[in-house]
Amino acid sequence: MAVLTQPRSRRLVRPRGLAWRRALWGYVFISPWIIGFLLFTLGPMIATLGFTFTNINLEQAEPLRFVGLRNYEKLINDPTAIHSLTVTFRYALIALPVAVALPFAVALLLHSRHLRGSGAFRVLFFMPYVVPFVAGVLIWQGMLGSEGNGWVNNFLQLIGIEHPPDWLESTTWIYPGLVIMGVWGIGAGVIIYLAGLKGIPSELYDAARIDGAGAWASLRNVTIPLMSPVVFYTLVLAVVEVLQYFLVPLVLKNGTGQPGGSTLFYNLYLYKNFFAFQDMSYGATLAWVLFAITLLLTLLLFWGARRWVYYAGEAR
Amino acid sequence: MRTPQTLRLPAVLAAVVMLVAACGQATTTSAPGSQAPGQSAAPPASQPAGNGEVVELRWYCCLGGGDAPEQVEVEQQVVEDFNAAHPNIHLTFEAVPYEGARDALATQIASGNGPDIVGPVGVGGAEAFHGQWLDLQPLIDSTGYDLGQYPDSTVALYNTGGEGQTGIPFAIYPSALFYKKGHFAEAGLAEPPHEWNGTYTMPDGTERPWDWDTVREIAKILTVDKNGKDATQEGFDPENIVQWGFEPQRDDLRQTGAYWGPGQLASGADGTTVEIPDAWQQAWKWFYAGMWDDHFSMTGPQFESDELNPSDYPFFTGNVSMAPNYLWSTYGVGDSGDDWDLAATPSYNGTTTAAFNADTFRIHKDTKHPEEAFTALTYLLDEANDTLLTTYGGMPARPEEQDAFFTTLQEGFPNQVDWNVAKEGVEFADVPNFESYMPAYNESLDKIIEFGTKWQSTQGLNLDTEIESLKTQLQSIWDQEG
Repeated sequence: MAVLTQPRSRRLVRPRGLAWRRALWGYVFISPWIIGFLLFTLGPMIATLGFTFTNINLEQAEPLRFVGLRNYEKLINDPTAIHSLTVTFRYALIALPVAVALPFAVALLLHSRHLRGSGAFRVLFFMPYVVPFVAGVLIWQGMLGSEGNGWVNNFLQLIGIEHPPDWLESTTWIYPGLVIMGVWGIGAGVIIYLAGLKGIPSELYDAARIDGAGAWASLRNVTIPLMSPVVFYTLVLAVVEVLQYFLVPLVLKNGTGQPGGSTLFYNLYLYKNFFAFQDMSYGATLAWVLFAITLLLTLLLFWGARRWVYYAGEAR
Repeated sequence: MRTPQTLRLPAVLAAVVMLVAACGQATTTSAPGSQAPGQSAAPPASQPAGNGEVVELRWYCCLGGGDAPEQVEVEQQVVEDFNAAHPNIHLTFEAVPYEGARDALATQIASGNGPDIVGPVGVGGAEAFHGQWLDLQPLIDSTGYDLGQYPDSTVALYNTGGEGQTGIPFAIYPSALFYKKGHFAEAGLAEPPHEWNGTYTMPDGTERPWDWDTVREIAKILTVDKNGKDATQEGFDPENIVQWGFEPQRDDLRQTGAYWGPGQLASGADGTTVEIPDAWQQAWKWFYAGMWDDHFSMTGPQFESDELNPSDYPFFTGNVSMAPNYLWSTYGVGDSGDDWDLAATPSYNGTTTAAFNADTFRIHKDTKHPEEAFTALTYLLDEANDTLLTTYGGMPARPEEQDAFFTTLQEGFPNQVDWNVAKEGVEFADVPNFESYMPAYNESLDKIIEFGTKWQSTQGLNLDTEIESLKTQLQSIWDQEG
């Protein structure tokens, strides 16, 4: 027995000769990245986890000391933190379906064989994505403005809507306004969906057609199941992005959270605590809680994916 | 394809060299906050440099201006001149654009890699980093630096908050009321008084004290809609205003209030009780009514509109008749036309106040070379004084240099400006300064700005309730800080 198992075990644990040298050189060549990751990503992450149990801040009026779970307790009792989390989830409820479904719909249209000049349309849809983000926000600020210079509202008035929404100053309309701004950046999602659509074998559509399937049945029974891994990928990225939503409210409202606190997103509050209020411990605590929430939601998505995501190469 | 053995080693070495080079910027640092504020009683000792070794210093800019390309060029030249004159010190200039300067400095200090000298920075900008500044008094004493060349009030400005003498006066920016002569002439109104604590002649010939009630009345006359009707007339259209009578200094609510009376929010024996000065409360109510009821000031959305206010200060558009502001705003006031001038700010309850700004350079408390840093600091304040004040547009803190400053400033404008108003305005500076220390400075200021923004964008608020809410929320922040 021992004679039979020993060689297998030795092969797995201690590769020798050529294989060992190859593995070693492989590690050597990726070592700059590994060292960089350890020093500049994992190290700081662990350090910030340590911060959450201390009272470190820039002024440091009281001596640096271990405070246990005080920062976590503060977070639970901080109405602004809870409010900012609510703001983020409220926005996510509107933004996520749009971020996942709209690029898919556009990609389907661009993929249609009936569309002439689809290449030009692809470029047009992708173009806003390459515009610097801050510039894009400032352009949309002008587009959605309400003081006589908002192009969107001017158009709405032109078609008879006397009192168009106050997109950027109303606590009700601010979220649709932000989602409209976000639509400008769907180009990347469209490209990913298009790549997925092009990967679906045409034989499947031919077979569906032979079976009498129309356009809707083909979409439901062929396209959507085969695109489900791409939809899932887009959904996971969208969830992570929406939880980290930050730049637009910072540029649009200078980080004030206006109107009425409706743009005080969680990540913005985190940033303010870290840099503006210079409370590193509490900022790090907010960051770690965000990390935990993101991880939890991602795990939930992966768990749920087993029920609706179809992988063609996977035995089911 | 297999890589020849002879090529592998150089490739690995190159990778290691690149990694080391990437990591090589790290500097040995000390923990932040290793010294409590205001502790130094004796001149802090510099870490000795070795024989013939040059001491390295870093000058960090731009928490409050100084980041324009033409200014950076001048600052770089100042640094080169300093280095040429001081072979034992090497000063390096770091210009970080204003928008990101606070974050970058906070990060540097938090990582124990703070600069030696910081500036130009105003009182508020420095308070945002409360506890980070070196008490200069021991160095002033040991070097015999003459503070007597500055008015006592400006010296005292840098000795608050229990941190010691953290600055030496450099540039000051008194306030005045900027106004458009053409608007007054067109409305048949007398121009506002240039004399401080003066009176105003109303259209009916009566003499009135130059106070905020008077300003309200004439601001309404000066506010005009697109049909040419002013805000006192029947049929005035507040939705289509083309000229506003008055624009307050609205950068933060404290300075809006400071034009009505000096004050600060922190009160009580230990400065941890929120007390909002009555004059500020009245100022805020006046400002709120001016936007939403009297319509002589822009509302928040109008103020934010690029079309109506492209350069952040509505007076610069030429469509605002009166605006109290600091002397630094001369950088853009030329855009309003060539018919503007300066008048005294109005009084409240018989007291006239003109909010005050001041910039200087500071030394970071964790500098390893305080003596050399003080040498560099005094070079900026003395030898480079003229050069830097000219590029920053700052009024010299030394009284004997002020006339020459105004002569140079006038050369930039075609219209003759009564600069004497600004010069005399120094006497009416708000003491204590509105930017003075308050607990949890940055978080408190954020809360104040949050309320200010809300009031500017929301009609129909009860300001008494709002002010009470602001007070409660600030107190909660201060209590948590404690």
